[in-house]
Amino acid sequence: METFVPDDNLVLKINDLMKKGFEIPNEKLTKNAKLVDDLGLDSLDAVDMLVFIEDEFGIKVDGEKMKSLRTMQDVYFLASDAIKKSTNKVI
Amino acid sequence: MRVFVTGMGAITSLGNSVESFFNGLVENQSGIKYFPEWENYVGLQTYVGGPVGDYNTSLLPRTVRRSMSRMSEMAVLATFQALEHAKFTDLKKLQSSRTLLILGSTSGSPFALETYFRKIFEKNGPQGQLSTSFFKIMNHSVAANVAAALEFNGSLLSPSSACATSTQAMILGWEMIKSGLYDVVIAGGADELHFLSAAIFDIVQAASRKYKTQPESSSRPFDQARDGLVVSEGAGIVVLESEAFAKARNATSIAEIRGGSYICDGSHMTQSSSSVMAQTMRYAIQRSDITQNEINYINAHATGTIQGDIEEARAIEEIFGDSVPVSSLKGHMGHSLAACGALEAIASIKMMEHDVLIPTKNLVIIDEECRGINLLQKIQNGRVKTFMSNNFAFGGMNTSILFSKV
Repeated sequence: METFVPDDNLVLKINDLMKKGFEIPNEKLTKNAKLVDDLGLDSLDAVDMLVFIEDEFGIKVDGEKMKSLRTMQDVYFLASDAIKKSTNKVI
Repeated sequence: MRVFVTGMGAITSLGNSVESFFNGLVENQSGIKYFPEWENYVGLQTYVGGPVGDYNTSLLPRTVRRSMSRMSEMAVLATFQALEHAKFTDLKKLQSSRTLLILGSTSGSPFALETYFRKIFEKNGPQGQLSTSFFKIMNHSVAANVAAALEFNGSLLSPSSACATSTQAMILGWEMIKSGLYDVVIAGGADELHFLSAAIFDIVQAASRKYKTQPESSSRPFDQARDGLVVSEGAGIVVLESEAFAKARNATSIAEIRGGSYICDGSHMTQSSSSVMAQTMRYAIQRSDITQNEINYINAHATGTIQGDIEEARAIEEIFGDSVPVSSLKGHMGHSLAACGALEAIASIKMMEHDVLIPTKNLVIIDEECRGINLLQKIQNGRVKTFMSNNFAFGGMNTSILFSKV
């Protein structure tokens, strides 16, 4: 099975959103960081994360998919997948 | 049942503490600034306001801060000041069914409302709204956010009556403690400065328009050259306790609430009525245990509007003639809307403490129609044992509260 490797630029942009939006220091934003247990995010933050990603990349993300996010890697994948599905979107 | 003030907190356009606020009044400072960016708003003709200076809320956890707009931030800071002043160092002692928070604002955050509706119109729907948007615009935003910051598990009320809000909160607190239902009440109000707050008054021709090049010259309560009010922002919070509760924990009582009343005109939404103002003041005295002769200072609501100041002067004259010194503090700090009642009470309590009477700033030539009362134009020494503080709001909301020295 192919392992997803997020684009560096995408990781930088999403990490930046996380830092600014949720005051999370850079060193905590590893791909395996758990959104709830390690980064202290909750259900309200999940709503806001979706808004930040949509606004940053000009895309629409399926809100239902937010429910299955567990780690930062999941977030990178979600964003990357949504960008691919949008036309002419450049990370 | 006697009700005492044991703590006070203030965030104002003159300073972010009770001491800096009062010093600003004593030094005749102005908190009013010109806002050049307001000239870009079509139809707005007032460009002056009283902003609060920088403050720091970083000690609050992000999950508490995220639902706060400026008004809630200021209210939280003022509440912490008041609790510290009252020496409530162990907040767990507040977690009781006999503690009541009564906090309010004029409306939800105008900043958040602007952001919320701009997005609604841009997207033609709710897409893209942050989860915390509504928590900043709900009318009980201030109350709920202060409770969250305190981790307060007790009784909570959230009056919202514009300029009468915090005086209503204090009077209600007095009533609740006197009733025996509560031992402690934290009461007050907060509002934030936004061009929409100024627009409310500008639309009905009640905001100051002529002083953008000399903002410190407005507002000018009771003055012949007044041209309307100046909106400002801030938060004023007091801690009230029953005599028994304060004594049991050795609290220092700063002042005593002797009486208060809140009466609605039931007539015009914006035009105040001197007869109902007088009725409100009389009823406050009637509900107290003092006589009107014991009142030796009146803190007027007077905002600098042409008609409002006249109506209040007439009402005061009807009851007191020119026997009692009167001043308004809105020339110094502007009109902080929901915060003004608590802030003006706090300032008047400080006047009592320091035996000084603060005059009305920018009162150079008293309007002929306001000359029947004893208006202070210069700072002076004066022993105040009991003062009356008035606040009046749109919708015919009239309040009057009485405090005494202890």
